[in-house]
This record gives sequence, structure tokens and C-alpha cells, in this order.
Amino acid sequence: MILITINGKKIELDGPVTIFEAARRNGIDIPSLCHHPALELWGGCRMCLVEIEKMPRLQTSCTVKAADGMAVYTETPRVVAARKAMLEFLLINHPLQCPTCDKAGECALQDLTVRYGAVAGRFEEGKRTFPENVDDPVIVRNMERCIMCTRCVRMCDGVQGAFAIGVVGRGAGSHVEPFSGGRYNCEYCGNCLNVCPVGAIMSRLHRYTYRPWQMDKTVKTICSFCGVGCTILLEVRGDAIQKVSPAFGKGVNNGLLCGRGMFGYGYAGSPERLKTPLVRKDGKLVPASWDEALALAARRLLEVKAQHGGRAIAGIAGGRCTNEENYAFQKFMRAGLGSNNIDSTARLGLLHAQDLLEGIFGQGAAANVIRGIPHSDAVLVVACDPTRTNPVMGLQVRAASKAGKKVVAIGHAPGLKRHMTHHLSAAFGHEGIALAGLLRELLRQKKALPGENPEFEAAIMGFSELPSPEEVRRLAGVPEAALTQAAEALKDVSTSSIIAGRELAASMDAKRNFMLLAAIGYVLNSRFFLVSEHPNEQGLIDMGCTPDMLPGGRPLALQTFRERCEHEWGARLDPEPGLTLMEMFEQAGGAIRAMYIMGENPAFNLPGRKKIKEALEKKLDFLVVQDIFLTETASLADVVLPSKAWSEKEGTYTNLEKRIQKLAQATGKNHEAGMEDWRILALIGRLAGLGNMPYASASDIIDEIARVSPLHAGLRYEDLEEDGMMWPYKGKPLRMSGGMQPLPAAKAAATLDRREEDTGQTGPALVIEKPLFHSGSLSRHSGALLDIMGGPEAKMAPGTAAGLGICEGGSVKISTAEGEMVLKAKLEKGLPAGAIFAGNNFGDAGALGLFGYELEPGSKTPVPRAEGLEITPL
Amino acid sequence: MTEPQPFSPKSVALLEEIRKKYPTGRAALMPALYVAQEEFGWLRPEALKAVAEFLGLPEMTVRSTATFYSMYRHRKAGRNVIRLCTNVSCMVLGAGTLKGVLGNVYGLAPGGTSPDGRFSLEVADCIGACGKGPAMIVNDDLHTGLDAKKILEVLENYK
Ligand code: SF4
Ligand code: SF4
Ligand code: SF4
Ligand code: FES
Ligand code: FES
Repeated sequence: MILITINGKKIELDGPVTIFEAARRNGIDIPSLCHHPALELWGGCRMCLVEIEKMPRLQTSCTVKAADGMAVYTETPRVVAARKAMLEFLLINHPLQCPTCDKAGECALQDLTVRYGAVAGRFEEGKRTFPENVDDPVIVRNMERCIMCTRCVRMCDGVQGAFAIGVVGRGAGSHVEPFSGGRYNCEYCGNCLNVCPVGAIMSRLHRYTYRPWQMDKTVKTICSFCGVGCTILLEVRGDAIQKVSPAFGKGVNNGLLCGRGMFGYGYAGSPERLKTPLVRKDGKLVPASWDEALALAARRLLEVKAQHGGRAIAGIAGGRCTNEENYAFQKFMRAGLGSNNIDSTARLGLLHAQDLLEGIFGQGAAANVIRGIPHSDAVLVVACDPTRTNPVMGLQVRAASKAGKKVVAIGHAPGLKRHMTHHLSAAFGHEGIALAGLLRELLRQKKALPGENPEFEAAIMGFSELPSPEEVRRLAGVPEAALTQAAEALKDVSTSSIIAGRELAASMDAKRNFMLLAAIGYVLNSRFFLVSEHPNEQGLIDMGCTPDMLPGGRPLALQTFRERCEHEWGARLDPEPGLTLMEMFEQAGGAIRAMYIMGENPAFNLPGRKKIKEALEKKLDFLVVQDIFLTETASLADVVLPSKAWSEKEGTYTNLEKRIQKLAQATGKNHEAGMEDWRILALIGRLAGLGNMPYASASDIIDEIARVSPLHAGLRYEDLEEDGMMWPYKGKPLRMSGGMQPLPAAKAAATLDRREEDTGQTGPALVIEKPLFHSGSLSRHSGALLDIMGGPEAKMAPGTAAGLGICEGGSVKISTAEGEMVLKAKLEKGLPAGAIFAGNNFGDAGALGLFGYELEPGSKTPVPRAEGLEITPL
Repeated sequence: MTEPQPFSPKSVALLEEIRKKYPTGRAALMPALYVAQEEFGWLRPEALKAVAEFLGLPEMTVRSTATFYSMYRHRKAGRNVIRLCTNVSCMVLGAGTLKGVLGNVYGLAPGGTSPDGRFSLEVADCIGACGKGPAMIVNDDLHTGLDAKKILEVLENYK
């Protein structure tokens, strides 16, 4: 126990903290400029000086730890004089542009000058000058305003780990800029802007559009881009989002954001939003009234049902829609239309990954806390780059690295280049072989297994034919030394985190891959994380938007549970599981006659695009699409129903930790065009006499979910304040972790196919790039993200390009059995040899269109294939 | 498929030597910058990038460090770099006149390069030869006891 007094007030501290922190906790305000809770201590601005009894000099309270018996005074005349002197120094060079500076009103320097009184400057020299720099599309730099607190640099280096900006020059010439001196070309997380205390670096998105005090409201909600589920603040004026602000100290992200979350919000206010329903007349989509469109949808769905039965209708749920909307969707499909043909893009990998992992460790195997990652001794990143797909989770991996933890990446993870201690550079699709080799090395090097689960350990020891480092080099291209050293680094850790990508599950070897992953996880005492591309991909699974599961992750096959739903929904349920995602399209025109797609864009987001488009356009009798934009899919529909964007509705998202969090309505009060997806479903249901959805709000639906799903039993909308609620909420999971299952068929599954190709000999490979700045259908409508990265490109290593006769900026034709595409070449050092990266983010050039697929037999997960790949320079 | 190497074999050898002497890439940065400066003429962006890549450091870290020090050449320089001391001792002994001579004869201004690219002039703050001023360093050679005539004679040896 440490006892101190601050301004005479007695304060007890149970651990060593700085005086600044002790004061803050006790409501005593000490001014600061360079200190920020998210950043490393620095002690450079000297605004936080305090007087401490028995210490002759003033001390910086942000760096000095409170010690027992200290008597601290924060506003003595001496302290005030020192602060005034500091401000005088800062203002010598400050341009005092407050009347035109966007920061005025929330500027720390302005506030402090007001607090301590302006001083008459005594310096006669001219102020330093730097022209305002607007070379960057989203960040504007005005270095005359910079007070050299280095918060931005400490953020970019120490937290973001991007090392994109730094102090350049010395003395009065010092200023902060990116390497180029102009454009940032960085990760565009915006975190540097969010910690700048003055108006030296700011977002251009809202430049000169408002003053901070003119904002109507600030609404706390969840980001709409990925499965991390970051807490953000929407600053709203009129009915528009003016800016996204961080909420330091809150949420999964503790105030940190990524480029999509920070700058991507513009899509909600895009003029391209659907404004009215559309119906197809004479082959063309034309605007229609809600009444007309809803009636048409209801009538045609009923007709198809009457003619072909409910099983002839298939539905695709949306990973951007809320839990409530997805719950309503599967209820509409099951109870209303009588169809279990419900699936989503979680079928592309997440669902299978989760099934495999939960099959071994029990439900909730991947429900772990992202902010715990840096606390484990090691992080193993497999077949994904979390810094791209789930950027704020990626920051936790970087934080682990900074804390000196082991970070081992298997496969391509460019965002961790500077942060991993070991890299097992397995060729694409061969990460499983590296896993097998790693397991073998771990078993060889480790003295003993944990001994918690003898049965499980017997299964692991029974894995036959795990490949030697030499074989791993030959089969997957991982150098032997890298493998043995990684095992050496991992073998003695007491806890670890494993982050796995969906590609591991979208593989013919998925079972083997997850067996190995589970075995390594067991040996290393790991927590698992599965990357998740959509903000509610996890939620839609939990809500029962799969062909064989009901809400709460309960199998449709369980009669007791089916009856529970039947009772609540007042309808008989088909006990037969429905079709999976790709099967729906394969059987379009045959078993499937109509489709209902909610907030998803399969004509763009799936492999086998040509066939899918053909199915949607020609083979279906009827297609309904709910969306906020006229997507590739919506433009093929018979009825298009505009829905609300994420900022316009209430409801909940479940993130990849399985944390349920609340959205809040910030805009769209006057937005008549769109309706919540659940509301549209309820209206059609009512018109068609299908289902019973008497909801007035999202919270009504939560109440029903809590009645139906044992997992969510007792959950109330009001309970989800601050940081939401972690799995298993208040309910019961199906099988708790700990009840670990022996690895079924472990032996066979872990046996490698020795005929796998020698990777040294393969030709170029096409890889879907997951850029940091785009997600696909939404980000294309965000002006800022387009400014950062405006168009598609084919990225490759200079060596690869040279081998193919391609030069920087030249056009490259990529053709496969599925089609062809011409992209601009971009050479980037350090990319794996032979790989050509192309994104699936821009309308006319979504590279997924070049992929066909093969179904993994058990899970029906499509495994993308680029058959007949040819790359030719033009 | 190897990437092109921005440094000459001679520089690479020097850099390898430097790298061996220091525990981390960061520690080796300052001497490595001199090698790059030799190779590239001045610390232009390509030089900084090449150093960053060689030492495995972020480009920005290299630029921040380099720009903090005025001894590095941050501008394109002529074939020969003159560092003329203009600090107190040398100034008293006539460095100002010499500055004027360089301006008249070679068209050199402090921080500038002669039109024929032969000389660049940097004014330096004390080069440690105060007792024998005015002094200057041309490339790596120290010249002391200069006057308006001697400076021109000395410079004739640098083409
Ligand atoms: S936006 Fe992010 S990556 Fe870019 S300079 Fe700022 S902190 Fe660094
Ligand atoms: S730009 Fe802002 S955050 Fe960065 S050093 Fe200057 S005042 Fe501080
Ligand atoms: S990490 Fe994901 S949830 Fe967080 S800001 Fe970025 S896109 Fe949004
Ligand atoms: S806040 Fe303590 S020195 Fe800047
Ligand atoms: S003052 Fe010129 S060398 Fe010291």
C-alpha cells in the first residue's frame, strides 16, 4: 500500500503508478500534452510539472512514480509559472490559426492557453514556417501547428508498429512527416491523428465542414467492417456521419482503429445508396413503391412454394446484418417458407474451421479475448495475416512481439514482417505441412506433454508419418533451420495464442490441418482465434443461418430442440438439413427455383462466378435481394429491397471472440428509403401469411432469441451496455471446453500425402490478396478508401515479374479456365516468389472471378482453384 | 530470381564489415549511412531505402536519424565538397573573405553547388583546427592557414 497526498488530499494506491495516474484516478486534473494513456511514457512537454515536498525541482508527474509518503502539489504558483513558461515557448512558434483550424474547440494547446492565461510573447524572431501539406488523400499535415509532443510517432512506431512517420530534421526545423515527405503510403489507421493534441495532422474527410461544438451528437457503436468489432464513436451532424472518433479505454480495441474503421464510413452516406425498392419489368429493374415490391415478393414466393414446395427456395444470410436480422431470416426461411436451405459466406471457411475446432474442444473453442493475446508467451499465426483481415487483432500480435513474446507465422503474413520472431514461409495451401512438421519437432524437442488428457495425448503420439524438417522443406518450401528454431522457441511456453485463417479450412486437407492445429494447441496450451471477415459472421452462425443448425448452435437433428422452435414459431420444421451455399447455385433451376438473399453479394464474393451469375440470372424463377447498394447480385434480382446501413439501425453484432455488442442508431431517422432487414422480412411474412414476426424493435427479437436459444437464455438487450457480453452469455453451451474429444481418425488424417507436389517446381500461383483498405462490396462506395487505394492491381515480387517478362505498371493478362482479366502490375519486394496477388475488391476486376472451386466433401466448403492459369504481359 | 542489389560490391563489403561490428542494425546505422553517401553522392531517398533494406530497419527510422545530423549530405553535391569553417576563430582570421572568393571565382554559395558541378560548399561550425585558421575540409583533406590566394591554389588540385 502506498500512501500519498495530492493537494492535501489523502490517496491510497495499491500498486506503483505515476503521480499523473494517481491524480487522474482521484479526479485531480493535471494538464498534459505529450502523455497519452495508449502510448509509452515520454516526459517531453513538461506541462505536467508538479511540486513534490522535499524535492528541490519540479517533477514531471507523467513519468515519476508515486512513492510512499509523497506530498504532491499540482497548482502552486511555482508550478503555474513553469507551465506558463512552457506555453510561452510553445506559442513562440505556433501560428495561432485557431479561427480557421479544425481542431479549435478540442485542442489541448488552446485549452491550456485559456486555462493559464495568454502570455505576451517576448521573442522577436520570426515563426518557423512549413507549408501545409495536402499531398495525401486523407491526411493533411500542418507542421507549423506541431508542438513536437511525438505522440503520433510513438503511436505509429510503438503501437501501430508501422514505422511510417518520424521526426525529420533537428531543432527548430524538426517536423513530423512520412518517408516520402508527401503521401503517407502507410497503413492509414488514423491512430496518429487520433492522438495529436493539436491540429497538426488531421483527417481531410471532414476538413472545414464543421466546428467541434456544432456536432449534434456522438453515438457509441460498433465498426461495420470486420469481425473484431471495434467500438467507435460516430460524430453526427444533421443526419450525416461527420467523422469516426476513437473511444480510448473502451471496447475490444481500446480506442485503436484501422483504416477501414477510421476512414471507411463514407459508404453510409453514398449517393449510390438504393433509394427505393426496384422491381423487374420487361427485363429491367425499375423503381417501385414499397407496397408494390413487398406484395410482389410475397406473391411470387408463395407461388414457388405452392408449385415446388418450400425446399425449392434457398436463402443466403448476411454477415453485415445484425443478429436480430439473421435470426429473423432463418425463421422466415424455416418456419415461413418451410426451407432449411440457409447458408452464408461463413461457408467459405469460418464455419468449417469452427466445426472442426469445436468438434475437438467443444463449443466456444474459439471464444477468447483478443486483448489477452499479448499476455500469452507466444503467438502462432497460421495461414492468415491478421494485420490485414482483422487489423486491430493484428495490433495485439504486434503488441505481443513488442513485449518480447515469440511470434511465429506460418505462411504469408507481410504485416508481421517486422514483428515475427520466426517465419515458416510455407507455400500457399501448404501451411498444413508446416504444421505437421512443427508438431513433429515439438514432440521431439519437448520433454513431456502436459498430461491433462491422456487419451488426447495418446492420439497425438499416434500421429504417424509426421514429416521431417527436410521433407517440410521439400514439400512446403520451409527452410529446415526455421522449423527447428521455431519449435525450439515454442517448446517451453506456458501459454500461447493461435490465430488461424479460413484458408486452412477451405482446403481438401482441412480435417488434417485442424487435427494438427488442435494437437499443437494442446501441446502449447493455446487459446484459439479464427479470423473473421465480416462484422457478424459469427453471429449469423449462432443465429442458425446454416442448413443444419438452429439458433444457439443446436443441431436441427435434435428433436427436442426442433420442438422448442416449433412451439415458439408456431410451425412445423423440416427435419432434413438443407443445401449448403455452393449447392444452392449448383442446383438452381433444378431443385432450387427461387432465392432470397439478404445483404450478401454472391455474384461477386464466391468462386465459380460465371456459373453463379448464370444461375441467378437465368435459372431461377424468382430472386429477391435486400441490400443497401445495387450490387452485382442485386442487379440480377426480380425484386430489390433497400435496407438500412449499420449506422441507421439498432441491433447486435457478435464478433470473432463471440462477444455480443450493441449497435446504436446514429443516422437515418429521416431516411425513408431503407428499412431494417428484419422489418422487411416481417412485412413480407405478414403479407404472405407466413411466419409470425410481431416485432416492433430489435430488442423484441432479442427477447425471442433468448427464449429460443439455450445459449442466449435470459439475455436482454439492456444488458449489453459498455463492452457487450462474452460467450456463453447467460446461457448454456452445448458442450463446454475441457470435455475434449479424442481426435477421431487422427492417425489417418495426419498422414501426409507424399505425392503432394514439390513446391520448388510449381509455376506461378494466383493468390487472392486481402488488402487492408478494402473489404469488397461496401468499401467500393467509400470515397476515402478509394482515394487510398483506387483500383485493382496484380502484385508480385520483382524476381517473379522478371521471370514472366512483366514490368512495373505494365498490363498483365491473367487468364484461367473461368475467365480473364487485365490488371496493372505492381512490383513489391519481399513477396513470395512465383505468387501473383490480385484482390477481389473492385467491381469489374474481382479476381475471385478467375477461380473455380471444388467442394470439400464433408463440409461442402468450396476450395478455390485457378485451373489453367496463364499470365502474359501485354 | 534474386532482387537487384543497390550497392556496389565494394560498398557491400564495407557494409558487411560494419554490420559485424555492431550488435544491432540500429547501432550500425550511422557508419552505414556514410557508405551509402559515398555510393549515392548524397543521402537521397534511394540511398536511405538501400540502407534500410540492408540493415533491416524501417525506412522512416533511417530518414529520421539521418536528417538529425548535419554532417551527412542531404542535398545533391558536386564532385568535391568543401566544408569551410565560419565559426568564431576562423571568422576572425578571415573566413568571411574566403566565402566571398569562392562566390566570385566558382559561383559558390553556402549550401550550393557550382554550375559546372565541380564544387559544393557547406559552411561548417568549427572543424577543430582553430589554431591554424581559417580552415576548410575538402572531401577528406584538411587545409589550414588559408588566405584568398592559397585557397585557390589548393582547390586547383580538385577537378
Ligand atoms: S495513419 Fe497509422 S500507419 Fe499511417 S502514419 Fe498514422 S499511425 Fe502510422
Ligand atoms: S503532429 Fe501532433 S502528435 Fe505529432 S508531434 Fe506534432 S503535435 Fe504531436
Ligand atoms: S479492425 Fe475491424 S472492427 Fe476494428 S476498425 Fe478495423 S475493420 Fe473495424
Ligand atoms: S505530459 Fe508529462 S511531460 Fe508531457
Ligand atoms: S573555428 Fe574554424 S576550425 Fe574551429
